[in-house]
Amino acid sequence: MSRIVGRPVPRVEGHAKVTGAAEFTADVHVPGALHGVMVLSTVARGRITRLETRQAERSAGVAAVMTHRNMPRLTVPEPHLLVKRFLPLQDTEIHHSGQPVALVLAETLEQAQHAATLVRVSYDTQPVRTVFEDAMDDAWIPPPEEEPGETPVPNELTRGDPEGALARADLRVDVTYTTPIHHHNPIEPSATTAVWRGRKVTVYDASQGVTAAQESIAQALDLPVGHVRVISRYLGGGFGCKTPWPHTVLTAAAAREVDRPVKLVLSRSDSYSLHGHRSQAHQRLRLGARRDGTLTAIDHVTTQQVSRTEDEFLPSASVPTRRLYACDNLSLAQRAVRLDLPTPAWMRSPEVMPAHGLECALDELAYAADMDPIELRLRNHTATDPETGEPFPSKHLKECYRRGATAFGWSERNPRPGSMRDGRIRIGWGMATAAHSAGGMPGAAARVTLSTEGTAQVQVATQDIGTGTYTVMSQMAAHVLGLPLDDVDFVLGDTNLPYASLSASSATVPAVGSAVNRTCTKARQKLIGLAVADPRSPLHDLPADGITAEEGTLYQTSRPERRDSIRAVLTRHGRPLDVATEAPEESGEQYSTGAVFAEVRVDPLLGQVRVTRMLGAFDPGRVLNRRTIRSQVIGGFIWAVGFTLTEHTLLDTRYGRFVNRNLSGYLIPVNADIPDIQALFIDQPDPTSQALGARGFGETPMCGMTAAIANAVHHATGRRIRDLPLTQDKLIASAS
Amino acid sequence: MSDNDEAPIGGHSRRAVLKTGGFAATLVATGGVLGTAVGEGAGAAPPAPATEVTLDVNGRTHRLTVETRVTLLETVRERLGLTGTKKGCDRGECGACTVLVDGRRVKSCLTLAVMEDGREITTVEGLARGEELHPVQEAFIRRDAFQCGFCTPGQIMSAVACIDEGHTGSDDEIREWMSGNLCRCSCYPNIVDAVRDAARERA
Amino acid sequence: MKPFDYTRTARASEAVRLVAARPGATFVAGGTELLNLVRDRALAPDLVVDINQVPLSGIELRDGTLHVGAMARMREVAEHPVVRSGFPVMSEALLASASPQIRNRASIGGNLMQRTRCWYYRDAGSPCNKREPGSGCPAITGQNRWHAIHGGSRHCIAVHPSDLAVALSALQATVVVLGPRGERSIPLKDFYLLPGTTPHKETALRHGELITGVTVPGSRSARHSRYLKLRDRAAFEFAVVSVAAALTMEGSEVSDVHLAFGGIAPRPWRSAEAEAALRGRPLTDSTIASAAQALVSGAQPREHNTFKVELVRRALADILTDLGGRR
Repeated sequence: MSRIVGRPVPRVEGHAKVTGAAEFTADVHVPGALHGVMVLSTVARGRITRLETRQAERSAGVAAVMTHRNMPRLTVPEPHLLVKRFLPLQDTEIHHSGQPVALVLAETLEQAQHAATLVRVSYDTQPVRTVFEDAMDDAWIPPPEEEPGETPVPNELTRGDPEGALARADLRVDVTYTTPIHHHNPIEPSATTAVWRGRKVTVYDASQGVTAAQESIAQALDLPVGHVRVISRYLGGGFGCKTPWPHTVLTAAAAREVDRPVKLVLSRSDSYSLHGHRSQAHQRLRLGARRDGTLTAIDHVTTQQVSRTEDEFLPSASVPTRRLYACDNLSLAQRAVRLDLPTPAWMRSPEVMPAHGLECALDELAYAADMDPIELRLRNHTATDPETGEPFPSKHLKECYRRGATAFGWSERNPRPGSMRDGRIRIGWGMATAAHSAGGMPGAAARVTLSTEGTAQVQVATQDIGTGTYTVMSQMAAHVLGLPLDDVDFVLGDTNLPYASLSASSATVPAVGSAVNRTCTKARQKLIGLAVADPRSPLHDLPADGITAEEGTLYQTSRPERRDSIRAVLTRHGRPLDVATEAPEESGEQYSTGAVFAEVRVDPLLGQVRVTRMLGAFDPGRVLNRRTIRSQVIGGFIWAVGFTLTEHTLLDTRYGRFVNRNLSGYLIPVNADIPDIQALFIDQPDPTSQALGARGFGETPMCGMTAAIANAVHHATGRRIRDLPLTQDKLIASAS
Repeated sequence: MSDNDEAPIGGHSRRAVLKTGGFAATLVATGGVLGTAVGEGAGAAPPAPATEVTLDVNGRTHRLTVETRVTLLETVRERLGLTGTKKGCDRGECGACTVLVDGRRVKSCLTLAVMEDGREITTVEGLARGEELHPVQEAFIRRDAFQCGFCTPGQIMSAVACIDEGHTGSDDEIREWMSGNLCRCSCYPNIVDAVRDAARERA
Repeated sequence: MKPFDYTRTARASEAVRLVAARPGATFVAGGTELLNLVRDRALAPDLVVDINQVPLSGIELRDGTLHVGAMARMREVAEHPVVRSGFPVMSEALLASASPQIRNRASIGGNLMQRTRCWYYRDAGSPCNKREPGSGCPAITGQNRWHAIHGGSRHCIAVHPSDLAVALSALQATVVVLGPRGERSIPLKDFYLLPGTTPHKETALRHGELITGVTVPGSRSARHSRYLKLRDRAAFEFAVVSVAAALTMEGSEVSDVHLAFGGIAPRPWRSAEAEAALRGRPLTDSTIASAAQALVSGAQPREHNTFKVELVRRALADILTDLGGRR
């Protein structure tokens, strides 16, 4: 096998991305396509009483104005495909502000945008409930989500005797942490272009899951799945918002109605109500511990928002508390409050919310116990999965603490808050454990075709959301097949390819990586079989298990000078070698951990916080590509900066309307906010991984870093601010 | 709150809101000015005013008739097929649409094509010389200064200008002068590395 | 965008004539503000007159007074050696504004004509007295983190977004405008109007009048001036609170001081009381504190912006400490 895996090879699609050649969904040119623009509801709850479209229809260039009156009736796809439980433009009901009430189709975008302003809507409104805090008294624990063939994850769980243990504890921490609404804001807006040919439709969609989009369109429009093809070759980020949402289905339906291709690109403002958000959250944590820091009890109650049209959407609120530390007495509750707001969605590292609370509360416990926070975490480290009692197959978290602490210089830290200063600037150092589950999604299928020229094409209907799928899967395929990287072409983003599920839940390595490994291994075995069966090959009649494939060559492992080129084997074979494998039910669930450290400089006078250093040491299993994995760490850390310091979607509770629906009011970090970042990796293969020892990892770095930053702010200032983001108003309010 | 024909949002009518946006204007004759009405699409309303512009894009001269309200961004993407320039927000808040106009970086969503008449425009497609990438493009690949790649053309155009302007004296200076380009995959440190590399190469 | 006619001219008087003749006409220079206003349906011009070729981009010092043409770009003014040495607060305010791409394009005249970033004003689905007189101000009892603590009325509490206008206010600049009836000068302190009962009227400009330039008197204080901008991220954001200060010290005493504040009022905010608390006094913690107290006296914070009262006091203290050489 070639030693391609692990090498920091540059992205294979890099050239296309730096030259502008990479074709994103909105770049696909479809002749004759109409441009769509949504008209969104300005009220949060009620009924449309009048919808006046004539003026818009008569505006220059307008082909049609689609509303509930002329849209065909559609079927709401199953919940595992579409989180939202209704489709707009089907009736007069309004379920949230920013719900589509019309879709204007015109020859040019400018015409459609202008005509959209001419649609007049009147509503019969109903009172809205939008204040999260007011609804807390009515919070309830929903029944677990039922999915066919899966054990439901309960929304409440008790282990041991948490109340008793809390009562007996030497040390107690009882704290409430709150986090605001967040929006994904990938720089590429969601986009869909639908092109019908007869009863079949091709949909170019900015999609984190082409197969899910395909199925949802098929169900909604009552089509055989095979009549829908979804393509997403380049994706400009997703972060959880590019799973199927109604606009994709509506675009396909509208294109069929008007018998023209239709292109819909959501505006930045649209994106705040059309594909979900990270829910506002409230969490109360009660920790009990012995004087030496040993955790004896955890009670963790999280509350998140659901809309009036969905019952159960509480992503991942209990995972860190269930899995990260040893604790015999545990109670967990995931509660919901129902508000007249859009449906929430998964958003990068969904476990970050509970992890933030847990890791900050542990910092509070460390101070209560007068212990170093790393020491406290080591004291409560678990080598077995508290869920199952089974040992974690490969967990190097202790090594992460050690290496991270050394590289950061943690031993230099004076633990007393406010003790590290530079003039009036207070310096704070904070740390936390980073952890996120990965995978647990359906497995993937794959096909490998080896050409008579000795090159390989590997196909999977997965996506590259920027995480490096093209590159890392090409590396894995080259590695397993024994080909140079340049001879492998990895094709993705098309439902005509072998099945894969969403690019989400850090599942691409466990699902797609396993499929590539499995299929390429089979192809290599066949290739070797061809060689040893071929009298013209120098390897003829050798035992197949004694042959190695590397860099385009097959050779006898014990006598490397006895060799044949892969190209020669295939040329003599005279036809391509085609190998496909089916998708397994599940890709297996994994857990990747690490230790993260942050330094902040706080100006207590002006309430300004700047992060000046971020460092993490991680255990992602085997590192497939040091360059792309480092970028994943950088991305996660910067998301943590946004989560902790700058990002919040503001809601006008009277109208249930988000007010800062743009990128000047919703503040994602800019370059000047971000310091140097260091990423270290243990790089030990996970023996249970089907993907060459690698685990899913992308969502781990953000988790932990939010708490590390907040803990650092506490260390700098001596103040615990338990409500995010840590903006100037809170800093000066709590400054001494 | 019910039975309102015009739904209140903050105590005023939807109709009032729409009036602000204005209905399709009755076109006034524009004697002596550039605007000339050009038919486009069917419909009862008059078409929007349009005018002829000459744009020199990546060294090629294009003569086009564009509606006066069409942005430079929409023109290079939709009319010239140069889709390397991206639309992330369409209001100057993300930087994905950055191009050079007469050598200076601008946000192409914040200017009308007609305002750029006669100017030299460089988009990301115009940077490489044949197969040879621009040093900034090379540095972006080498430093992994992108993940999804969507903001990348804007980052690269901004970086070319940033180096040209001489704002690469320190990493902090690069950070400040590259802050008009958002990256949600969050590759900022790698972007700083790439800009520093390319600036050194040029020096 | 609603369709509009477009024309361009290289003569200021012609531009003025064209706009004055049509009630729905407007000028465009950089375009960085106008395009968004039209997208947001805050403006719906039927004629756009492009003045980019009007030769009004000079930057020069004559008889101790800085003359900046309205068509000079933010970048050019920020980088100009005369501005940097004689009027540093202008340069700092400009460099703290927007992004390099926008500063390359946005003109000085256009910068002063920016409209508020109040989210209700920018949301055509919300009421707003500025956009639709009489429709109401949702900010007063709604989301008002970014809004005014001074100078608002029960019809509007939006803040003016320009950093440059704050700097120019501290420098006691004058706006020169050309109208159908000729040229006139408007001191910056009279240029921006408080909302009162007419929040849609933001400036003293009459329809058809074009800003042709800004004049700024040079002085020791102007040479010794600074801009401090506070915001939630490190760059590319409008001010949460900002302070422009120009200061002259005679020994340990303040002999001359001019202050202006951004992010707290519908126009660059001046406080004669705060200046009076400093003028002729030594720059001590106690005089600074009384100036800060005078500044916020009478402030009317709202639900989400009470912090601005404390923050602007501290910002003032910080910039004075810095300018007074006490740090």
